[in-house]
Amino acid sequence: MAQPIGTTKGPGEAAHEFTFITPDRDEAVKAGEFVYYQATIDGQPRPVFGRVSGRRPARLYPDAFLADPTVAPEAVAGMVGYAMEPPELFEVAVTTLGYYDPDLRDFVNPRLPPRPGCPIYIATDEMLAQVLNRLQPGQVGAAHIGALLSRPGGGVPVVVDARAITSTHLAIIASTGAGKSYLAGVLVEELMAPHNRAAVLIIDPHAEYDTLAEMQAASALRGDDGYRPDVHIIRPDDIKVRISSLTLADLRYLLPNLSDKMQHYLGRAFGRVRRQYKDKWTLGQFMVALRAGPGGKPVTDPAQDEELEEGEEDATIGALLWRVESVLGGSRIFDDYESLPLSDLFRPGRCTVLQLNEVDAREQQVVVATLLRRLWQARMDTEKGKAAEGDETYLPYPAFVLIEEAHNFAPASADVITSQILKTILSEGRKFGVAVGLISQRPGRLDADVLSQCMTQFILRIVNPVDQARVAESVESVGRDLLAELPALSKGQAIIAGAAVNTPLLCQVRRRITPHGAEDPDAPSRWQEWFARGQDAGRQRDLSLLLQPEKRNRGKLFKTER
Amino acid sequence: MLIGKIARSSSHIDYICQVYQPGEVEQVPDPAEYAFGRFVRLAAAESPAVIGIIYDTVLMNPEFGTLGPRLSPAGDLAVFSPDYLNEKVTLVGIVAIGTWGPGGTIEHGVPPLAVRIDTPVESLSPDEVLAFHADGKGGARLGYAPLLLAHGSPLARQLLLRTIEQLEALCPAARPQLRVLRTGLAWRAGVEPLA
Repeated sequence: MAQPIGTTKGPGEAAHEFTFITPDRDEAVKAGEFVYYQATIDGQPRPVFGRVSGRRPARLYPDAFLADPTVAPEAVAGMVGYAMEPPELFEVAVTTLGYYDPDLRDFVNPRLPPRPGCPIYIATDEMLAQVLNRLQPGQVGAAHIGALLSRPGGGVPVVVDARAITSTHLAIIASTGAGKSYLAGVLVEELMAPHNRAAVLIIDPHAEYDTLAEMQAASALRGDDGYRPDVHIIRPDDIKVRISSLTLADLRYLLPNLSDKMQHYLGRAFGRVRRQYKDKWTLGQFMVALRAGPGGKPVTDPAQDEELEEGEEDATIGALLWRVESVLGGSRIFDDYESLPLSDLFRPGRCTVLQLNEVDAREQQVVVATLLRRLWQARMDTEKGKAAEGDETYLPYPAFVLIEEAHNFAPASADVITSQILKTILSEGRKFGVAVGLISQRPGRLDADVLSQCMTQFILRIVNPVDQARVAESVESVGRDLLAELPALSKGQAIIAGAAVNTPLLCQVRRRITPHGAEDPDAPSRWQEWFARGQDAGRQRDLSLLLQPEKRNRGKLFKTER
Repeated sequence: MLIGKIARSSSHIDYICQVYQPGEVEQVPDPAEYAFGRFVRLAAAESPAVIGIIYDTVLMNPEFGTLGPRLSPAGDLAVFSPDYLNEKVTLVGIVAIGTWGPGGTIEHGVPPLAVRIDTPVESLSPDEVLAFHADGKGGARLGYAPLLLAHGSPLARQLLLRTIEQLEALCPAARPQLRVLRTGLAWRAGVEPLA
């Protein structure tokens, strides 16, 4: 039997809290640590678990004993006759989780605090590995994210339930540099492991996930049946969105600040082209519909547009034509016929990285909106039996979309073109097997409804008070005690809470199998390299050939020579 | 050096010593021997000596307040009524802070045995003071400090300060720890009352 580390003092501030007193000589009672006491539940002895939520000194050395840093307070205490064990005593607050019910696979709160004097034990690694994780590493649906932070050496693996993540969505929230992309990389590696083989799409606005391509060669991710993850990286030049997949709202979004009259013409032309060509129309056909104008004057051939004499066409239509042409016609993304096939983007065992780093911000949003809309429609059609194999909208498996810089796609302050489809997926995606993972460094700028719909949260270090407040109001499952840890977390340490874990916990994220692609550039080293290569001397030499004002007596306002 | 004898007590650790006067002992103690903060030994033959500290001084004078005329001049009183003169005495308060056994066993704290009336009181030499406080490792100990502070005397903090100052002079090895104690006490005794 393990040695107790403390003795229960009594109930805590809240009904589900209690306090215990401990000398904690081994310094084992850390914030977030798991402890337990034995209780008889339904005639059976069961360990009732709790998480350390606070700690305050109950007995300490007087301040005067600490006056001289070179003199140990123990020495002063010893001098005045205290020759016992170290005197510190701590009162530790514990949030009761309850006893673990293997049938429910969850903690059940006994709703009765331990009696005073009840011994408290530190939960062993083996116990925690059983009760904190629903799945063991390597099982189908398991995502081994890291290890429990309070246990050195990775004694307790933290395994989240990928089924919960891929049905009820997740959010990864952290300040810049806290390791959110790294964590996302770990998560993707787990989803692509042989025991999961997920269909994942990563929206990557900074092109920092291309190192995931090394998953294909990683032996750790190879299956016994020869499986290995397929990573498909789509560069900005390869992104294609078929123009006819755009909605009127997309067009209005791409063409901001249209006058009422322009909006009217645009809507009418859109309706006309949809009626005439259904969901397969080209930019030229749309232009023809636009050119027809209020009088419905037919212009049959877009190539003849230029032959029209000036003054023949409405100035508003002319301006609208010019704007549509410059935005859609000049874009390398929007195309009359080509579109990224859903079956290429989403396939079990494939991770598609959609790099949007050279794409205009509004175009990024429209690309993501059209993709999510198509995915949503395809999953609905497939589940409802409206799409059959071979159809463009046939997608017979769930899909997971990880969105970096999610605050750009669902901002709190405005409704952008992606907001509505994201909200639809977040609220109804579970039914049709569409899940999203939102990654953001500014939760304060992320729509609160969107954030609160992500039922699993990975929260890394957050220093900004506005962001902390947003997390506190949107993430209900994380207790105050854990949220208080947010500014103090180190790189790679995360709070994991929500549907994918049995209880909120502090986790040290494991090392990635693939290299991290979002390393900060080392500017000072690069500057040093510039000099080391002699480029500075060369540049000065080159410039000196061109600019020699002194010799040419230029650059002087007044002649001083006689 | 003998300075007096125990005249009474007010508690198990609080004793009153009557300082010897001329005529009682061969060598009358110098006032420095029974000064405030002086360490003394309350020696008894059959039991461990009790060690104490002088924490208070009271001067007894029955003549004080007698305003009537005297029949005899003061010089004649020394001849005809010497006992009357002896009623003017100096009393010092001693708080017992430990014991010093015959084998050299030193204990700090409340002495288990009380001291009897008329037990002689003698002052400790600096070497004896050092020996009483030695911790056996070259340092010093003040195991009676909490007892002194709990004694309730208004001069308790000053008394402990005085004791620490003596020890700082006698035991250089313990100065850092003693300085920490003295600094804290000096603040509480000197600054806090004025705040």
